[in-house]
Amino acid sequence: MKLPTGVHFDNYEADHAWWKTRFVWIRMVLLLFVLLWVIPQFVGDYWLSFLNMVGYTILGAAGVQLLIGYTGLITLGHAAPIGFGAFACALSMYLFNIPYLLSFLIGMIAAGLLSLLFGLPCVRVKGFYLIMTTMAMQFITVDVILTQFLGPLAGKGRGGVLAIEPGMFSIGPWVIYSVKDAYIWMIIICIIVQVFMANLMRTRVGRAWMAIRDNDIAAEALGVNIVYYKLLAFFIAGALGGVAGCYWLTNLSIVSPEHFMFPWSLWLVGVILIGGVGSLYGHIFGAIFMTGVLEVVKLVLVPLADIIPGTMEKFLYIKDLVFGLAIILFLIFEPNGISYRWWQIKNYIHLWPFSY
Amino acid sequence: MEWKREELRVEKEIGEPILVVENAMKAFGGLQALNNISFEVRRGEILSIIGPNGAGKSVMLNCINGLPGYRLDSGRIVFDGQDITNWPPHKRAHIGISRTFQKIELFGGMTVLDNVKLGRHMKMNTGWWDGGIYWGKAVKEEAKHRKWIEEKVFETCEIEIYRNRITGMLPYGVQKRIELARALAMGPRLLLLDEPMAGLNLEEVEDMTRFILDANEEKEWNCTIILVEHDMGVVMDISDRVIVFDWGAKIADGPPEEVQNKPEVIRAYLGEVEETYITRR
Ligand SMILES: Nc1ncnc2c1ncn2[C@@H]1O[C@H](COP(=O)(O)OP(=O)(O)O)[C@@H](O)[C@H]1O
Ligand SMILES: [Mg+2]
Repeated sequence: MKLPTGVHFDNYEADHAWWKTRFVWIRMVLLLFVLLWVIPQFVGDYWLSFLNMVGYTILGAAGVQLLIGYTGLITLGHAAPIGFGAFACALSMYLFNIPYLLSFLIGMIAAGLLSLLFGLPCVRVKGFYLIMTTMAMQFITVDVILTQFLGPLAGKGRGGVLAIEPGMFSIGPWVIYSVKDAYIWMIIICIIVQVFMANLMRTRVGRAWMAIRDNDIAAEALGVNIVYYKLLAFFIAGALGGVAGCYWLTNLSIVSPEHFMFPWSLWLVGVILIGGVGSLYGHIFGAIFMTGVLEVVKLVLVPLADIIPGTMEKFLYIKDLVFGLAIILFLIFEPNGISYRWWQIKNYIHLWPFSY
Repeated sequence: MEWKREELRVEKEIGEPILVVENAMKAFGGLQALNNISFEVRRGEILSIIGPNGAGKSVMLNCINGLPGYRLDSGRIVFDGQDITNWPPHKRAHIGISRTFQKIELFGGMTVLDNVKLGRHMKMNTGWWDGGIYWGKAVKEEAKHRKWIEEKVFETCEIEIYRNRITGMLPYGVQKRIELARALAMGPRLLLLDEPMAGLNLEEVEDMTRFILDANEEKEWNCTIILVEHDMGVVMDISDRVIVFDWGAKIADGPPEEVQNKPEVIRAYLGEVEETYITRR
């Protein structure tokens, strides 16, 4: 029997897995239908742009998940490759009129190389010292390179702000112009990134990363070249950051170093901590939760502002307070993140008829 | 059950030396863990290293394996004609050295299958791009190695029922077996086993002995083995040759029967707590 390409089963599992896959298949089609048709059809621009923010956070946190969650390399500077990728993409469009998709690719590669460059010390150092180099990447890249050198290349704007004509983001005949376009594009990118990561994690490279994370000595004794795989992790995570950055540029048609400051790096780490470290759902749940909380705080505070004067001025403090609380509560009650709870619920549902 | 050495062993050829250790010295601070150790392992043989606790047996294996912090102070390690004294561990793995650890070093959070697949790491070559798109080549390779693992490794080590279980949750004896399976999955030429029987019950020891003999004698494995072990029954039964360490020095080298009766060996073990010089049979 020949199975369709991309589907492989071992003989002894065939019956079982075939069923499971058909079920998964139907579920995936349904999900796609909802994401690509139902939501853009019935959701207004305000909430679409909220979802775009969620998507951007997912893309940004994907690289952090790869580094921290799968390879065990802690990064506190992931906003740097995101910003660098965004600027590389913007500049190649602005200065050289390179088509959008190609610029996107350039942004990815540039971000990957930046991350690789600052990952090089992993050849010699581990732990805290490596974390320091990621922070160095953050400050050198965003506060110096973007602000002082790349930003001014555009020749206008202040503080390194770079703007691209919204009509220039075109893929073939499709111009990404409206919020809805940006939403569709976000969903497509997120799916590609998630599928790519899922595949990576179940094949040789992903296993090697996880081996390094769990026990680097055993990994090396098994023939895993630790330095190579750590550098590869930095490169791919950086390139994923580049994807996020290029998407951000597409979404806003403007980028500024302001968007990629240190708190954003920390935020992304918070996203995977809350969503679940070392899980492919982790950064998705985390992004939805963190962006959602922000939205709730806004929804509550804006009406309050009419009643209690001065609320809006305090918005930032209140926001920080809520997040601090959220993270602490999570670490206390759900230290494994949302994805772990999700996994439990799913198991429960799967077992449901027999759960007693 | 009483095993006779003759019943257990098959006729096999012992070839030329595959690993040569020359004048190995290794100190930790003031402690001379390896003191001018020289020996060789011949192709196809099971060489046991015995000696009291702290004699430097594990240090010797770690040095042969090249773990971080275990580079020789002086001396040479030659494997298959190549001087590997200063090679990193992953390169040594690539030329066919594989091992198990005294304290189990499995990837506890992963499934048994993933652990063993990691043993296949260097026999596979799916890169990040092929793996990421998971199409064609990568799919075929995963399937091919999965089949190989099921047929060869799981068959030999009898762990197929655990394949999808999380390794860290399995009993100790099973984990010991999985570690051997992972080492075998690498298709090694030289297998270093650091106390594979430690902590096993009688039945498990018999199983493990059988797996080790399979790894040594069966055509498809054909491993040369260095065995560090305290269980003298096993050592005497399956070793072709035994060397004895004491305080980092080699004090005896020869066939099991001969070594067993040497006065200096008996002296080395005197004063050792009893449990280290036990036989379970
Ligand atoms: N990495 C290390 N750092 C310092 N001392 C070590 C290290 N590894 C082993 N030793 C010491 O070397 C000696 C030999 O240890 P080992 O080879 O583990 O003994 P055994 O023969 O029981 O396996 C012990 O005294 C141990 O404490
Ligand atoms: Mg030891």
